[in-house]
Amino acid sequence: MNQKTLIALVLAVAGFVTALLLPVADLSMAGQITLGIFLFAAVFWVLEPIPIYATSLIVILLQVLLLSAQGPLAQYTVPETVQPVRLEADTWELPAAAVTDEAKVRMKRNGRFQAVDVEVLESTAATATVRSAELTEETALARRAAHWQAEFTPPSYTVFLNTLANPIIILFLGGFVMAAGASKYRVDRNLIRIILRPFGTRPAGVMIGMMAITALLSAFMSNTATTAMMMAVVLPVISAAPEGDRFRIGVALCIPFAANLGGIATPIGTPPNAIALGALSQQGVNIPFTTWMGLTVPLVVVMLVFVWFLLLKVFPSREKNLALELTGTFETSPKAWALYIVAGGTILLWVTEALHGLSSSLVALIPVALLTAFQVVEKKEVRNLPWEVLWLMAGGLALGVAMRETGLAEWMVGVVPWGVLGAAGALAVFGIVAILLSNFISNTVAATLLMPLVMSFVASGMAEGFALTTAALTVAVGTSLAMALPVSTPPNAIAVSTGLIRTPDMVKMGVIIGTVGYGAVLAMAFLFWNLIF
Amino acid sequence: MPDIHILCIEDEPDVLDAVLRDLAPFEEKFTLTGAADAAEAREILEGLDPENDAVGLIFCDHIMPGQRGIDLLIALRKDNLQPLEHTRKVLFTGQADHADTIQAINEAGIDRYLAKPWEADELRGLTRKLLTEFVIAARIPPLPYMAVLDSARLAEAIHDRNDFNEAG
Repeated sequence: MNQKTLIALVLAVAGFVTALLLPVADLSMAGQITLGIFLFAAVFWVLEPIPIYATSLIVILLQVLLLSAQGPLAQYTVPETVQPVRLEADTWELPAAAVTDEAKVRMKRNGRFQAVDVEVLESTAATATVRSAELTEETALARRAAHWQAEFTPPSYTVFLNTLANPIIILFLGGFVMAAGASKYRVDRNLIRIILRPFGTRPAGVMIGMMAITALLSAFMSNTATTAMMMAVVLPVISAAPEGDRFRIGVALCIPFAANLGGIATPIGTPPNAIALGALSQQGVNIPFTTWMGLTVPLVVVMLVFVWFLLLKVFPSREKNLALELTGTFETSPKAWALYIVAGGTILLWVTEALHGLSSSLVALIPVALLTAFQVVEKKEVRNLPWEVLWLMAGGLALGVAMRETGLAEWMVGVVPWGVLGAAGALAVFGIVAILLSNFISNTVAATLLMPLVMSFVASGMAEGFALTTAALTVAVGTSLAMALPVSTPPNAIAVSTGLIRTPDMVKMGVIIGTVGYGAVLAMAFLFWNLIF
Repeated sequence: MPDIHILCIEDEPDVLDAVLRDLAPFEEKFTLTGAADAAEAREILEGLDPENDAVGLIFCDHIMPGQRGIDLLIALRKDNLQPLEHTRKVLFTGQADHADTIQAINEAGIDRYLAKPWEADELRGLTRKLLTEFVIAARIPPLPYMAVLDSARLAEAIHDRNDFNEAG
């Protein structure tokens, strides 16, 4: 075990144990267990002693073991029950521990403990005399009202396992399968060729063309895969440019930046969007595919144009012409046609959700089923799908579920004195934390850690005047605006690895984009998103 | 990240120096080693650590005192050393006859002939191409090599292979 792993393990275990032993009165034991899992996961996700998707699976495992009704903890610590003893018509004697400080008893009904108010007439160390019309001689009460399972009914373990097939995970699976097909039949490359053509050969035109196609592809495919492919197309061209031409830096930077921005534009563009949609649907808010696009595309377009101006200004081209010679033809085999029709139809159904009302997750099963049925996507491609990304997201969703169910999220939000900031200020803080944090850690992880907090902040009523959607978008979009460092996102890492860019170039541009993007997100949040919800 | 070696086997010291000098730009990312004959080459290869070392490319002269180049490559292929699993091999020619040529391709599995004398740019271009192939074939994470090798092909490999960390 190396030193980093050891440090991470010690910190994670310390966090877990501290959470369990923390003397907090207003957080249930189940909430403390969840806090322990949260701290453990946060340390592992940030320090990465193991891959982030493996940490996600540990989160689900710990939840099944420690928080579910079927887990060993719940199985071996079943709360003892006791029947009240009738003294008079509606006066009962109970063990003192069965009554809480707030004069409640926990009554077992249909397998769950429910809090029932009673009137305490007399209380000694051992017994309490209470008055209540609801008790009967058959009533089962928790002998110790503070027992963790009396305060919190552990959900079935399927609640945690189901996150692996959450509708949003299926939505992403649909996107992954289409991307695998598109890559296999070189649809992505052909689209580049066709879309770039009208942008001409002037360097500025070629650059905005490349940014547009990169953003468009990364809105539907993985940002990283899009960047890798665009780099493969573009590198031979810019390597041919004269050695000292700074424009090469601009081109090599515009692709990862456009890919990061493009991911914002659709629900399936990048995993943080899934975390936002998952948190919203937990609160009963379902955002259709087109609504998401309507909310985010204006921001993406503004940012793309801004980045284009910025890079042209800082890295001007000396050449008059930049020839991108791209050749290739669309495949016309029956399988290729099946792909075009299925993928085209799926995207059409996604963007017309308002007309037919079929949810995008439901539609996403169509390409999964049909592309495998037609063997456009074969076993080899199925095995190559980025399953670990789905697991990563599922762990994030599962953590969000537990944080909400156990009241942890609400408690954590309550710890911070938000009153000083006001609702708008608090939202601005969440936004800046999202951007800063995801410059250093995975965007998905940043969204996972922040989303339950921002959701319960709004749901608690502290953020008066702010919609849940506004808050979720601010955090999700914020994480995608982090692109200052090579480690910020995989597209950045690929771009720096080419050797065309020096890290300081990326940092300067990334900081400017992050700052302007932050302003743009807040403007969108206050002046657009919040007004329509 | 494994330590990727480039091994040059050449009995004439002047020629060996020239090869090593021409390949110096690759030393940023690769370990460049010279050997004067087959015996020395074998000693170097057997001293490698199968866990951390991999041989990306071997340049080998044919006519040398002791074991001939082709015979060395055939013997190495039979030995199946771990660090040599995906190695690309280039034979310096000039003196190989028809039978040697057939043997070199069929039995030694060489990838290229390079006729003496060579241009430095030609040698570097070939090295770049073969090491790129090696990195892709050996499934070594390609990012660290993009600046030195064929970055477009490595980007393509990243895209095709789909094994980067997507969730960034």
